[in-house]
Amino acid sequence: MTENQPVTIVMIEDDEGHARLIEKNIRRAGISNTIRHFADGTSALDYLYKHHDQPTLHGPALILLDLNLPDMSGTDILAKIKSGALKRTPVVVLTTTDDKVEIQRCYDLGCNVYITKPVNYESFAGAIRQLGLFLSVIQVPDPVEEG
Amino acid sequence: MSITERLFNRMMVGVVLFGFLALMAAGGTAGFTVARSQQFTGWVNHSNEVQARLSDFRLALERTETARRGSLLDDSPRYDDIYRTFSVSLPALLDRVATLTADNPNQQRRTTQARVLLGAMLTSMDESIALIRAGRRQEAQADFRMAKTSDMVKDLRTITEAMAAEEAGLLKARSDAQSSAARNLYVVLAVSAVLLGIVAVSSLWVILRYTRDLTASRNALRVMNLGLESAVAERTADFKRANEEIQRFAYIVSHDLRSPLVNVMGFTSELDAATRPLEQMLEKVEAEAPQLVTPEAREAIRTDLPEAVGFIRTATQKMDRLINAILRLSREGRRVIAPEKLNMQSVLQGVADGIRHQASERGAIVEIDADVPDIVSDRLAIEQIFSNLVENAVKYLAKGRPGVIQLRGRAQGDHVIFEVRDNGRGIDPKDHDRVFDLFRRSGSQDQPGEGIGLAHVRALAYRLGGLITCESALDQGATFRLSLPKILNLDRGAPTP
Repeated sequence: MTENQPVTIVMIEDDEGHARLIEKNIRRAGISNTIRHFADGTSALDYLYKHHDQPTLHGPALILLDLNLPDMSGTDILAKIKSGALKRTPVVVLTTTDDKVEIQRCYDLGCNVYITKPVNYESFAGAIRQLGLFLSVIQVPDPVEEG
Repeated sequence: MSITERLFNRMMVGVVLFGFLALMAAGGTAGFTVARSQQFTGWVNHSNEVQARLSDFRLALERTETARRGSLLDDSPRYDDIYRTFSVSLPALLDRVATLTADNPNQQRRTTQARVLLGAMLTSMDESIALIRAGRRQEAQADFRMAKTSDMVKDLRTITEAMAAEEAGLLKARSDAQSSAARNLYVVLAVSAVLLGIVAVSSLWVILRYTRDLTASRNALRVMNLGLESAVAERTADFKRANEEIQRFAYIVSHDLRSPLVNVMGFTSELDAATRPLEQMLEKVEAEAPQLVTPEAREAIRTDLPEAVGFIRTATQKMDRLINAILRLSREGRRVIAPEKLNMQSVLQGVADGIRHQASERGAIVEIDADVPDIVSDRLAIEQIFSNLVENAVKYLAKGRPGVIQLRGRAQGDHVIFEVRDNGRGIDPKDHDRVFDLFRRSGSQDQPGEGIGLAHVRALAYRLGGLITCESALDQGATFRLSLPKILNLDRGAPTP
């Protein structure tokens, strides 16, 4: 973690329940970073690229991305993030889909971690907590200053 | 073919048949006529022969007479010799004529007369010759003048002329008959030729017509076949599309159902977790201020909440299993089928080995027939099918009867029929179709399971271009019969994902 600028966790997840469960379990893992939740792709991209305190200008971020979104496909968001100014921002895909083709596609597009949400809650909670542990140790790069 | 056309064809065949019969009759008539003609020719020849022999006789007679007369005038021994030669030959010549004309009573009568006359004549002539030899020429000449012998000769001439005339008449009649027979033969031949022509033309016409009809129907059949093939291709494409649609549907549904389920299970766990502080608080309150604890609150915290959480958990776990089953099925449906040559003996042995432990625990044995035909198919799918079937057989044994599970296979045309036969508790015949449906089971529900195995088996069998049927009665064991193509052809048998 960067010392000066704490990492913001940007969670793009349309299911409020899932979002709440993810947040709860991240907190239980002892992570206290700011979590910004967006229920659709448009508002998330707006925040990432246009908001006044967008992480491109205001510190590093880590993105938790669900693939099934109401307004646009999660893979489109992934492609956009990974091809622009935020290409070094770690993206964790956290979704219900365990289709091999989909997983391959996400890694091809540059996703850093792909996690399938287990239906079994114990496994789910365990996965999120481990993600939390992972978040507490990874180094996140500063955003690229675009010319 | 219309009725009139059929009638016409039948008539045509009748006409041709009649033509052939007429031709045969004509042939017979021609043969008969030829035979008759030959017969007439024989008769004509016979008449000629009779005439020739008559001539011989008459010539000999004249020579005899001449020689006798010569002897009367001149005593040269030349006449004597001639006389002797011809007079001796006369009876034989007459006999020959008699033999030839034995069939004709008129001639017979005449020859008899002639024979009598000839005998008398020769006797008289011999006497006259003897007189001459004895030098009594005068007496002989006197005899001659009496003209007794000459009259006999004259009579013989008359008789033989009559005979010749009769034979000439017969000859004419016979020649006429012969030529008329020949004429008849020509007529018969001409008629036969015409009939032959008619039969040939109509046969040709009928054959051409049939050939044309045959070609037309063959063409029609080919067109129909083409239509059928395209119809089959169309239906197959429809089927493929529908199947893909169902696969996609199953996949989407199972995914979208999973998402709310994560919530239900997650928050149920949260609820469960939340009861623990409540429980602790209840214990604390009970210890410190029991008057504050109402029975309702105790009941709610200790019984109702854990019970509700428990039921929700069980239900959601079951739902999770069902969704996973649908997902697995749809995934199996999307898996790429890779046909390869399978040694079925070893595949079945592998399946049996995989379940050996489970089977021996339950007291069942698995037997594999020695001559199971090999096939070309997808290894994973085949293994899945047989292990599901064998597992079912091991699962549903009859009580108090050691399980015997037999695996067999036999070739039938371009298919191989596999059988998984057990002596277990059997399946009620009314459930035979139902057991292949997803989530449907039969009989007493005393074994774990979701009703997925056979649905999976049937889906796999369909994908491999096969069919599966069940034959069973309660407590009589069950036989699952799987018909698979010997060589899996992906273009036809299985819809690709």
